[in-house]
Amino acid sequence: MAAPSGMIDPAVFEGLQAQVDKDRAVVDELKDIIKELEKNNRGISFVHSRAHSTPVGQLPNVLNAAGGPVQGAIESISKLAAIASKQPYYKFNSMWTRQVQDAVYGILFWAWLGGKDYTGGEVKCGRLLTIEEVGEILKVPVNTKDKDEFHLTIEEYLLSLVSLVEELTRLARNAVTLGDYERPLLINQFVKDVFAGFQILNLKNDILRKRSDGLKYRVKDVEDVVYDLSLRNLLPKKSE
Amino acid sequence: MEGSKPQKREKPEQVASPFMPMFETFRKELDEHHDRRERIIKASRDITAASKKIIFTLQRVRKLGQAVPPFVTKGNGQYWEIIEKQYQSIAADVQGLNAYRYGNNITGGNQEFMEALSFQHYLETQTLVSYEEAQSRVATMSGAAGAVPLSSEDYILGIFDMVGELMRFSITTMATNGELPAGPVKKAEQEKADSDADNMDIDEQAPETGGAEGGRNVLSDLRALRLQLEMFEPAGGRFEKDVRKKAWVMRECVDKVEKAWYGLTVRGTERPKGWVPDVREERREEIQGY
Repeated sequence: MAAPSGMIDPAVFEGLQAQVDKDRAVVDELKDIIKELEKNNRGISFVHSRAHSTPVGQLPNVLNAAGGPVQGAIESISKLAAIASKQPYYKFNSMWTRQVQDAVYGILFWAWLGGKDYTGGEVKCGRLLTIEEVGEILKVPVNTKDKDEFHLTIEEYLLSLVSLVEELTRLARNAVTLGDYERPLLINQFVKDVFAGFQILNLKNDILRKRSDGLKYRVKDVEDVVYDLSLRNLLPKKSE
Repeated sequence: MEGSKPQKREKPEQVASPFMPMFETFRKELDEHHDRRERIIKASRDITAASKKIIFTLQRVRKLGQAVPPFVTKGNGQYWEIIEKQYQSIAADVQGLNAYRYGNNITGGNQEFMEALSFQHYLETQTLVSYEEAQSRVATMSGAAGAVPLSSEDYILGIFDMVGELMRFSITTMATNGELPAGPVKKAEQEKADSDADNMDIDEQAPETGGAEGGRNVLSDLRALRLQLEMFEPAGGRFEKDVRKKAWVMRECVDKVEKAWYGLTVRGTERPKGWVPDVREERREEIQGY
């Protein structure tokens, strides 16, 4: 009798299939946590959207309300990190990088509005958390190089920063409609500082390049707002 | 000052950006990452080109189940060396955390390498090279810096491509020798294969004899391979899409060999010297009228 199996050792494909099935189980487990993180991110952005219609004086209400979902996102990421660290980091990271970026962006915006250091009284806007500070808040390592574990990458942080700039551009206009002529100036400076940073990066043709290419338009958008205000003599007099 | 547009004069601000030190660190890290990626992309391209040349030479082999003739070993030596050199050049870049990071950048080279490796392995032994064997081949070539990872995806997709080479090999051999290539049947291998068949749940596929001798030939091997590849279930994502696409091509390839073999069986004796079994659908009419 001819033996077709002489060609192929059946163990070859059995082994490959077993590996695939194991990976699939990991993917399924990760999916649930990522969904949970997505939900928390939506909670954060729901609260944050109120910042566009809230005068600075009442921002503490928004910041307090954001506390819950921010905490939720931190917990989701801790769970994600625990599971993901059992696997090679870059094998599955495309599954969650988007959601992690959203969470980081949420935290960056929250901190920019003054949520991080708020202890009562007036809020102080304009703070940029470093990647290390974000890592501390999320309780995950950042920019890991030697150890294969879950961490926050530079790319993720930078992409979140682009999102923050986009959101602040929107906030600059909305602040004006609220009668706040001070924050556009603050935003103008902040956006320019961030843009200057991006300009020294040697970006290649990738997502980071694509997204950061839009920054110059955001800089211009905010400049236009400041220009409009200055034309009408609406800029607050220098009190420094 | 409000009236005059101050934007143009704000150059010193760039220097004063408080985030500069942070971005300088980022720049260094990103540059390293881009350099690694570029090295890997280039290596992948060179490995692909060298593997293609190896396959090209291998297609001139006519005998199955024995060491490839000297002209192949000699001609391909330089290409194997190129591949080895390329794997060595990137081995350090794909260790530890970065093992999977550049998977998309190296997969092209890895797949083509798998195609060349499995094709030669088949020609020489008439068996499919195992995943572990392939991995250890790459590991050996990668040198002291550590093995370049060969993912199971790379392996599978490379094997799919190898089916196409087997098709070409079968058709050419049929055209020149008038028979399906079959290797010498070895006693030991035959017995081992029989015992293997017991613990496989595909026994019903056993009558795989394409040839008259009852031994294994390329067609029976192709069918066995097709069966295994079709039973394989990818996990999803991009890999699943690739598998589906390649599975379709693979079926076409096996089909073509079966059709050619049919033609040879039916019309074999009438076959004019030098007639080539056609592998393209659209020309069948013509050939039949020949």
